[in-house]
Amino acid sequence: MFLRQAVVIARRDFIATVFTPAFLIFLLAPLFMLVFATVGGTGARMIADSGEAGQRIVVIASAEENALIGAADGRRRDLIPAPIAPPQLETREPRGNPEAQARAVFSESGIDVTAVLYRDGTGDDAGWHIIDGGNASFSANYLAALAEDARRDRLADISPGADPPAIPRTPFQRQEASSSDRQSAGMGALFVLFLLTLLLAGQTVSVLAEEKGNKVIEILAAAAPLEAVFVGKLAGLFGVALLFVAFWGGLASMAIGALAGPGMMGVIDPAIGLSTFLTLGIVYFAMGYLLLGSVFLAVGAQASSMREIQMLSLPITFFQMAMFGLASAAAATPGSTLALIAELFPFSSPFAMVARGATDATLWPHLAAIAWQLLWVAITIAIGARWFRKGVLKSGPSLLRRFNPFHNSAKQN
Amino acid sequence: MSATGLVKYFGDKRAVDGVDIAVPAGSIYGILGPNGAGKTTTLRMLLGIIEPDEGSRMLLGSPRPRTQSDRVGYLPEERGLYPSMKAREAIAFMGALRGLDWRTGRERADEMLEAVGLGGSAHEKIKKLSKGMAQLVQLQGSIVHRPDLIVLDEPFSGLDPVNQERLEKLVLAERDRGATILFSTHIMAHAERLCDRLAIIAGGKRRYEGSVEEARATLPMEAHYTPREDSPALLSLLPPEAVRDGKDYRCPVPEDGMESLLQTLLDSGHGIAGLSLERPGLHDAFVALVGAETVERMESGEELEA
Repeated sequence: MFLRQAVVIARRDFIATVFTPAFLIFLLAPLFMLVFATVGGTGARMIADSGEAGQRIVVIASAEENALIGAADGRRRDLIPAPIAPPQLETREPRGNPEAQARAVFSESGIDVTAVLYRDGTGDDAGWHIIDGGNASFSANYLAALAEDARRDRLADISPGADPPAIPRTPFQRQEASSSDRQSAGMGALFVLFLLTLLLAGQTVSVLAEEKGNKVIEILAAAAPLEAVFVGKLAGLFGVALLFVAFWGGLASMAIGALAGPGMMGVIDPAIGLSTFLTLGIVYFAMGYLLLGSVFLAVGAQASSMREIQMLSLPITFFQMAMFGLASAAAATPGSTLALIAELFPFSSPFAMVARGATDATLWPHLAAIAWQLLWVAITIAIGARWFRKGVLKSGPSLLRRFNPFHNSAKQN
Repeated sequence: MSATGLVKYFGDKRAVDGVDIAVPAGSIYGILGPNGAGKTTTLRMLLGIIEPDEGSRMLLGSPRPRTQSDRVGYLPEERGLYPSMKAREAIAFMGALRGLDWRTGRERADEMLEAVGLGGSAHEKIKKLSKGMAQLVQLQGSIVHRPDLIVLDEPFSGLDPVNQERLEKLVLAERDRGATILFSTHIMAHAERLCDRLAIIAGGKRRYEGSVEEARATLPMEAHYTPREDSPALLSLLPPEAVRDGKDYRCPVPEDGMESLLQTLLDSGHGIAGLSLERPGLHDAFVALVGAETVERMESGEELEA
């Protein structure tokens, strides 16, 4: 008896779960996961590669010495496994004041210089000097070793045990953040934005279920256009999200201020400027929330039970992760085609654009992106309301009936 | 409010099949029919909540019903209120949805709740109210903005007699205020008591449209006769449709009038202890229009397949 009743209940639950559109989305959710894993993995690899690919160690010396150092680099590099190899060597000939030239190298765009080796003077007896972009960095040590190799090669001095002259080193204080620092800042902002939308935008999926459950939806639908109902719901929850962000953001600011001092924010130096970057961060949080929230609202509105809502949470999370993966890949390769795709694709655009703000000082693309994202919020809400009207309220003629002149007569006969 | 040739499909089912309706301004108009007849779908199409597959509508002078939503009050069949909202807030909220400012909404809510004896519940949460009280709160929410047109879908269902009477009074008061009231019901007594005009819908089709009196007039007058001396032979003297009803006999009034029948009864010695001529009730008219089976189902609340 017990087993039979259990089977009856299990059968009902199984059928009620499986034969719903939500289950189809749930079933296909791993596809989103695969896409996410591919895009995210590619993005992570690219961000790692791009950070390393942009790094350089630079030698400023005569052509002859550059050749010797290049040869030494070749020999040593053959012995070092690629993952721990030093940054790529770039050799240049001196022009004017070597120290000024060496310092200027750190400010060049497109490359991230970790250390520079140069002759501190113009004569043959001029000693080597290293400007270290880090703090006793591996790059500086490697350049010192190359200088010693070159010295031995030039003098044909291969006697073991001779102590090489110590090369003086000067740490380099950057006036502005390096490109990799900015990329990291962009990635950090992207992650914060993603985390906030992941935590907050998903709530919109169940908001219309409440109205459907307590039957208020018909009152709302009778009194106001469904688009207005959707916008109202979205705006209400966005207010809640803003309150959440303001509360925790305020607490975090106070904690950072207390622990690290007020100058902490000064270490973040986005290309577009800190205040503009923070403003854009807030705007893109709003855009990201509204875009993803409107999608989740539209999808959740189709669900007819809490069970379906729960099933939808998995594909929704995957969708968010996929957008994060795409935007991460874009953040790793600023200016690339992938970055452009992520910036144009409406649902990854807020994340990709906030990362862009960290590395690119141009303002107008942000204004265009915000307008583009707003347009898509409107489009998503309009589609969601139409879908709800069709799917839930069963309003309006079906396409079959609209385009099949024989349908009506066939039904009536 | 009017509609011509409204058609609505749900899947393959033609739920509403070419319904025509014309609701005169300032009247109480009833849509009468069994469950599943298409009443709610018709109301939803009239209000623009859903779009018809065919046909046209005119609501308060506009072919686009949604543009008039601030002038309309609507009580849906499936009652719905936010359980955690207080009664006066719920009323004010529904008014605000229709363009009434919150302050006025709250003031009117207090007045309205007081008027129906629910003043003490104004600050109670909906979930604390009885079903009947919550239903009254919802009705008040649907009229708090003083709409020109009030549409009530099965407003009496689920109400106890006391609240039904309250609701009837509210409906009449709104009509006296000048509002047009359209309501659906499957309970004929309410339609008969309240409606100036009505439409009878069954199987998605409109079977009748007119006043209650006109509906009753579709059947002949009925004679209720009580003999002074009864006998088994009496029934054979009456028209073939005559039936015995206790000590009385009921039969349709003959087409040539009552004179010859009365003469026959007097001549046969049965005499006349009582005689009245009455119009049949809406129930009988409804039976004649849609069939006894449909009426039986309607009265039992059973869902009717279209």
